[in-house]
Amino acid sequence: MADTAVHAATDHGHDDHGTHHTTTGLSNNKLAMWLFLGSECLLFGGLISTYMLYRGRHSENLGPDQLWDIPFTSASSFVLLMSSLTMVLAVTAAKRRDDRNTSLWLTVTAMLGALFVAGQIYEFTVFYREGLGFTTSLFSSSFYTLTGFHGVHVTVGVIMLLSVVGILMKRRTGEDKSELVEMVGLYWHFVDIVWILIFTLVYLIPA
Amino acid sequence: MSERPSTPRRLAHAARLALLGAGALAISACAQDAPQDTWAPEGENAQTIHNLQWPIFLVAGIVGVIVMAVVLYAVIKFKDRGQPIPEQSHGNPIIEYTFIALPAAILAVIAGFTVNTIFDLAETQDTECVINVTGQQWWWEYDYPVAADGSICGYTPSNAAAVPLITSGQVIIPTDTKVLIRGTSRDVIHSFWIPKLNGKRDMVPGRVHTWRFHADGPGIYAGQCTEFCGLSHANMRMEMIALDPDDFQAWLDNQLEPYQSPEAGTLAAAGEVTYVSQCARCHQVDGLVDGNGDPIVSAPDQWVYSGAAPNLTNFMTRNTFAGASWDLLTPACRDEVWNASPEDFGAAYLKGVTPECLNEIDLKEWLRDAPAKKPMYADATALLETDGKVRGMPNLGLSEDQINELVAYLLERK
Amino acid sequence: MALIERPATRDGGLVPAVVTPSSSYGVFRRPVETKGWKSWLFTIDHKKLGIMYGVTAIFFFFLGGFEALLIRAQLATNEGTILSADKYNQMFTMHATTMVFLFVMPMAAAFANYFVPLQIGARDVAFPRINAFGFWCFLFGAIFINTSWFLGGAADGGWFMYAPNSSVPFSPTSGIDFWTLGLQITGIASLTGAINLIVTVINMRAPGMSLMKMPIFTWMILIVQFLLLFAIPVITVALFLLMFQRNFDATFFSVEAGADPLLWQHLFWIFGHPEVYILILPSFGIVSEVLPVFSKKPLFGYPLVVFSGAAIGFVGWGVWAHHMFASGLGPISVAVFSVATMAIAIPTGVKIVNWIMTMWGGKLVFTTAMLFAIGLIVQFTIGGLSGVTHAVAPSDTQQTDTYYIVAHFHYVLFGGAVLGIFSGLYYWWPKMFGKLLNETLGKWNFWLMIIGMNLTFGPMHIIGLQGQPRRMYQTTDARAGEGFFNLNFWNLVASIGSLILGIGAFLFVINVFYSHRKNGPAPLDPWDARSLEWMTASPPKEHNFDAIPTVHHLDEFFHRKYEDRGEGEHHEYHQVATAEDVLAEQEANADKHIHLPSPSYWPIVLAFGLPVMAYGVIYNIWLIVVGGAIVMAAMYGWGLEPATATPDDYDPPTPEGGAELEVAHG
Repeated sequence: MADTAVHAATDHGHDDHGTHHTTTGLSNNKLAMWLFLGSECLLFGGLISTYMLYRGRHSENLGPDQLWDIPFTSASSFVLLMSSLTMVLAVTAAKRRDDRNTSLWLTVTAMLGALFVAGQIYEFTVFYREGLGFTTSLFSSSFYTLTGFHGVHVTVGVIMLLSVVGILMKRRTGEDKSELVEMVGLYWHFVDIVWILIFTLVYLIPA
Repeated sequence: MSERPSTPRRLAHAARLALLGAGALAISACAQDAPQDTWAPEGENAQTIHNLQWPIFLVAGIVGVIVMAVVLYAVIKFKDRGQPIPEQSHGNPIIEYTFIALPAAILAVIAGFTVNTIFDLAETQDTECVINVTGQQWWWEYDYPVAADGSICGYTPSNAAAVPLITSGQVIIPTDTKVLIRGTSRDVIHSFWIPKLNGKRDMVPGRVHTWRFHADGPGIYAGQCTEFCGLSHANMRMEMIALDPDDFQAWLDNQLEPYQSPEAGTLAAAGEVTYVSQCARCHQVDGLVDGNGDPIVSAPDQWVYSGAAPNLTNFMTRNTFAGASWDLLTPACRDEVWNASPEDFGAAYLKGVTPECLNEIDLKEWLRDAPAKKPMYADATALLETDGKVRGMPNLGLSEDQINELVAYLLERK
Repeated sequence: MALIERPATRDGGLVPAVVTPSSSYGVFRRPVETKGWKSWLFTIDHKKLGIMYGVTAIFFFFLGGFEALLIRAQLATNEGTILSADKYNQMFTMHATTMVFLFVMPMAAAFANYFVPLQIGARDVAFPRINAFGFWCFLFGAIFINTSWFLGGAADGGWFMYAPNSSVPFSPTSGIDFWTLGLQITGIASLTGAINLIVTVINMRAPGMSLMKMPIFTWMILIVQFLLLFAIPVITVALFLLMFQRNFDATFFSVEAGADPLLWQHLFWIFGHPEVYILILPSFGIVSEVLPVFSKKPLFGYPLVVFSGAAIGFVGWGVWAHHMFASGLGPISVAVFSVATMAIAIPTGVKIVNWIMTMWGGKLVFTTAMLFAIGLIVQFTIGGLSGVTHAVAPSDTQQTDTYYIVAHFHYVLFGGAVLGIFSGLYYWWPKMFGKLLNETLGKWNFWLMIIGMNLTFGPMHIIGLQGQPRRMYQTTDARAGEGFFNLNFWNLVASIGSLILGIGAFLFVINVFYSHRKNGPAPLDPWDARSLEWMTASPPKEHNFDAIPTVHHLDEFFHRKYEDRGEGEHHEYHQVATAEDVLAEQEANADKHIHLPSPSYWPIVLAFGLPVMAYGVIYNIWLIVVGGAIVMAAMYGWGLEPATATPDDYDPPTPEGGAELEVAHG
């Protein structure tokens, strides 16, 4: 879905008859992305509520206290946070129409995102080896559902970032791509913020 | 676009609507014979609700009639008869704010009374009797806990030490007593509702919900499960029986009477053997012993998905079966109990099911093929997901002889 | 835009050229058809999509109606045997699911798609391809859900699908899986549609059209889209949890694993109550358009109607637990939600008052559209007032899950949403198809529906207050009572009423065929209408407006046609222009270049991948991979496809690409 919103960027983006002009002056694409993210808040709201309700419902020896590896998750959270920084650098480069640096920073952002996802997969594997399957307990189901949904969002973001890099490489026409980059940036920052929330509620606050 | 035919029809129509909207609703309070009439309270809690609801229905009805009258007037009065185009007025603040303030004021008053009533109905401090209620597909089980002082529901048995009583279908309460039910469910959500005594309360698995009942006088108060609970939701009924204190004491004592095996050589004695071989897996009859003198304990949890089956120890003291869906009494005998005067009701009910009053037809149909009478996934092949556990009584393939024996045996369970 | 038009000859005006696609569009050739089934299948024209939404929705209206008739046939006698318990449970589940998700919601989408761009003076929605994608998601999702009838039985847990009754042990067929997955797919349609329409309304209004000059229908649609935007993700979470529960052995609703079944109820109703307003507000918008037109007066208290709509939208989020008064929330929660529910009656009442005041002092013409609108006022009022009686929580504990509730929400949804939809159909039909619907048949249509609905749903008040619960496939004589309130009698009356209602509703279909055979082209402005959508041809041209009008007034069209020559307090309106004049003026000032996006294969392909994946969840994991591959391929095809066809897509190539439309007049 996020993808379709980005591809829609082309729908009205190339109008060369001056109808960029919108009633409010906001770009359609950016407005749509904001609305989509508003909707996403409720999605994660529902998932987080479910987790909060069920976080304590696990067997004695397979709860957060036994499983969480805070230093590791802190490190991967830091990686994701840094990717927001590189995303900002990509957006500024795009505004300068500096395709080279835009591509560079977008790639770095995608790499950091991929690293985060890799960390999450590693973490899931460790939990699984310790006996925490998806259906082990209510805690495990809601934990994997929440973090899994987030992981899918990050993965989609990585694909979007790489797609934008591809577009930049293919059509190096110097035209303004900043809006496209900015939209992906909005999505990326949102996913980061959601992770900060998840990290705090799931990992840091004791059950 | 001629409009001639529509106006008189609209008049008739609106009049009918007005009648429907207010009149019919108001009259329904006077209904005599609907066992689940929500406008015929016969106990404190239902009365509290009714005291709140009838004025609100009245107000709603009046508002409805006014709205329709105004629409009707506008439709007739402002019909296009060639008048000039009216002023293109965009509104009138006075009218607009009046009609915000007016309904707001009415609703504020209603809200005040409502909140008050909500807390009144939640009161449980002065409870005099506690009964546990458990729903499962598709019947209700009631168990009467024994209090620390050895009493059940505030009454001390006169003939035996109190033990927890388990029954189903009909729940017996003493009249003029504040009864608290503590309800839960063994499978899906059910809802416990005796309209003449109180509103409904969902019985949710994993939770215990409390709900108060009070009956002014003796009688049978009909109810029905109201939360959709699967295939036989329609066949999950219950009845609350209110008995005067003496009658309640008599009922309680009778429930605790020790088990008596049928006389040797009778049909019922053969029925006991059949019962043990066919029914005792799931159904409990307290006091029944095997050849070694050991009690026969049912294990419905191994056979039935919900893990329970109705206790049949005093089956024939109740006059319904299978989730209160069918009567154990013939229609004539049933009427005698249902229509008994308050003075005679206790005696009529305590008679239980006598051989001449037994509704053999439904009971035998049930024993012959229960799922045909009450749909319940008793077909184990459809239940692989749940280890083949049945959802209710399966077709046991009993012979007619076995059925006759069982009926004779059951007739003595009272 | 679906139709790619370019002048075949300079002097011939707008003649769609016969174009043959070249093979220059990568592996596939881009669709550029202007006629035939392909022009519909790959269209991204909001008007064609609107019509497709409408046709599909009306089909499902009759399917859902058929299900309702079967239910009523079963209940006509107290121990009906037409349906088994199992089939009956499937029937009422699918009746509600069909009417809510496959009729009323897409019907609102049909009107919104068709008329919002026209009402705000836009040439299309903001994202035409996403719009097409939304429609195909809805259609494929709807078909997907209904295939369950042939694959072991439909969902049987009720449309509210309470846990744990929706878990596999209690519903071992795949019906609920179809329901869960299908609603996720149609949910995508609602979500994308919401984003699309909000952006369209916020960003694409004609010059001069401030928010408070926007037609009221567009306003209500805007509010509804915000409700959808925030409600759909909540039901999505619930549906995902249920899917994980049923298909992947999670235990979100398994009590034995420690789950709380009330989680589902909260998630479902946090979606479900805004959903009620999602269903009703579009019809409120429609009658707020129709009443002024046939009263020859502006909507009374327009700002208040807008704000009350917004207020309903806000407060609608704080009342969900009034569906749960009996579920044991505790007195404090019950009290809070009870009072909040009463509060929402106030803005709803405002609307009724404003509609009546709109008619007050007017010059009322009773067309079929107007009759349906007045019908809505009356019938919805009944439903609204019975709603107040169960906003009162203690009273609700007697009424909830009885037929009284069934009566209430049918007065609200049938008397509100459906009558509004029919009002809109009669009102806008000439605009959409250039033909008027027959008024005589229309009035039969109206009166039979009104009589039918009151006979069907009126007695349900009695049936419910006499204590008959809902969702029972059979009732017993023992609980029926005697005399005037005998429930068997009233159930029979309701069943007969439903037949009348069915015949009445079917008259609409007959009317459509009859009118299209008999009637000539409709006049441009048959109702002396007031808003922008009437300032185009009927049906509108592909580009909607030759010149985008500049808006100076609410009811712009009225003010272009009429002039007030009165003095002071005295008003005297004179017609100074006809619709033809207004249109001619527009044509004279037609825009020279109108750039419209081109059709695309990808929306339908992308949407097609989703049910494939959904079948995979139920039957075979590899189908998920196949469906996923289709989705991925379509996304990239979509992403790489330019919004408009390139010159190479045409034969002979055009200098500027096919979507360039030159209006040759003047």
